Amino acid sequence: MRSGLPLLLALVALVAPACGSGDSGEAPSTEGELLVAAAANLSDAFDEIGALFEAETGAKVTFSYASSGLLATQIEGGLPADIYCSADTSYVDQLREKGLIVPGSELVYALGRLALASSTKSGLALTELSDLRQPEVEQIAIANPQHAPYGRAAEEALKSAGLWDDLQPRIVYGQNVRQATQFVESGNAEAGLIPLSLAINSSGLTYVLVDDSLHLPIRQELAIVAGTKKEELARRFVAFLTGTEGQAVMEKYGFVVPKEG
Amino acid sequence: MFDVDLFPLRLSLQVAAMATAICLVVGVALAWLLARRRFWGRELLSALVTLPLILPPTVLGYYLLQVLGRRTVVGEFLEDTFGIRIAFAWEGAVLASAIVALPLMVRSAQAAFENVDPSLENAARTLGRSNVAVFFTVTLPLAWQGVLAGMALTFARAIGEFGATIMLAGNIPGRTQTMPVAIYDAWQSGDAALANALVGILTVTSVLSLLVIGRLVRLPAGRQG
Repeated sequence: MRSGLPLLLALVALVAPACGSGDSGEAPSTEGELLVAAAANLSDAFDEIGALFEAETGAKVTFSYASSGLLATQIEGGLPADIYCSADTSYVDQLREKGLIVPGSELVYALGRLALASSTKSGLALTELSDLRQPEVEQIAIANPQHAPYGRAAEEALKSAGLWDDLQPRIVYGQNVRQATQFVESGNAEAGLIPLSLAINSSGLTYVLVDDSLHLPIRQELAIVAGTKKEELARRFVAFLTGTEGQAVMEKYGFVVPKEG
Repeated sequence: MFDVDLFPLRLSLQVAAMATAICLVVGVALAWLLARRRFWGRELLSALVTLPLILPPTVLGYYLLQVLGRRTVVGEFLEDTFGIRIAFAWEGAVLASAIVALPLMVRSAQAAFENVDPSLENAARTLGRSNVAVFFTVTLPLAWQGVLAGMALTFARAIGEFGATIMLAGNIPGRTQTMPVAIYDAWQSGDAALANALVGILTVTSVLSLLVIGRLVRLPAGRQG
């Protein structure tokens, strides 16, 4: 087996560190580290807030971004998240019914807005939803309404405006709002209905706000996940998020922060 | 030049290496069984082993979650008794990669075993060797090229595993985010610079790995009988 020995040694060399250092996801090596399951529309804002939180407390925050529905499914399947930040309230309700959140930890932390966006490359000037009827708009990107609250809001808005039936053949679904945004930024979709929080900082997009009377309010709720071993640190993060520094960042990304009495 | 987080690369290499090691042991055993033994259910076993090659990775990911998820009977047992977590942990990435790559190892090794002249094995037995000794001193060395080829394919497939991995292990940066998942994540975020960097690194790494393994496979063709 002479020709095999170097290969086996190489394999062992690769495998050994993984075994020796134990595990990359268990308590000892991730002491003082939070895992936040956050809806995709929060990615820009939370990256910033996470960095500020780490600078202030020394505790690292890891974000797993996906659609709210997917995250709820993963948490039901045992995703070891400490905090769940949804883009709506229904998924938090769903988890509460299954006993998967710490009772009383639910909190509406932001109100979101929907934006009508197109890539600056496309040269389209869309000022209102009915502009989507233009033949130049061949594909309209939204997040999948089945598991993304902003996608649901987009569908509601288009239906309220009487545009859904006509435009449906042109609609492409992103798995989450980040993917939908990427479709528009890359020009693969000429237009899209995406969260304001993702449109606002994007250099390649032009956007207008969608009239929020066309859809149910986007009330984003969070909750601490039951079984977390970092409840105190999680509460600190929530306090930071809803405190002055966190609020300032959220407002920068177009969120309306509910002021508690 | 900006610095790229190399955790996904390290994780992918470790996951692929562990998956290859698992496939080596399990795959060679299965391959030998299928090549050398006739038994009831042999055809069925062969079909089951080949299945991951044909089923979409998302189907495999779904099955694995249903069986080994943290809130399933098996999953809870593993976690409570042994402290082993499969779903949303790097162990899940290893398992997903091992399962999708197993058929490649079995097929390569099985073909290699079938090409070993049984009369050589029988000769060794008449000289007093036990079956286990025959396997390790006669059968396996003669089939080694095929087994090495299987390992190369296994490693390559494991490094590129995406669908089942992202379902079973999730996308947790710094814990379960392998290279293919990191690339998908970077693309989704519209971070073209990062996506390009990761794609470049993975392509180069994969080509290098295959070259290295290919070189080792082609070493002393030697003892053919």
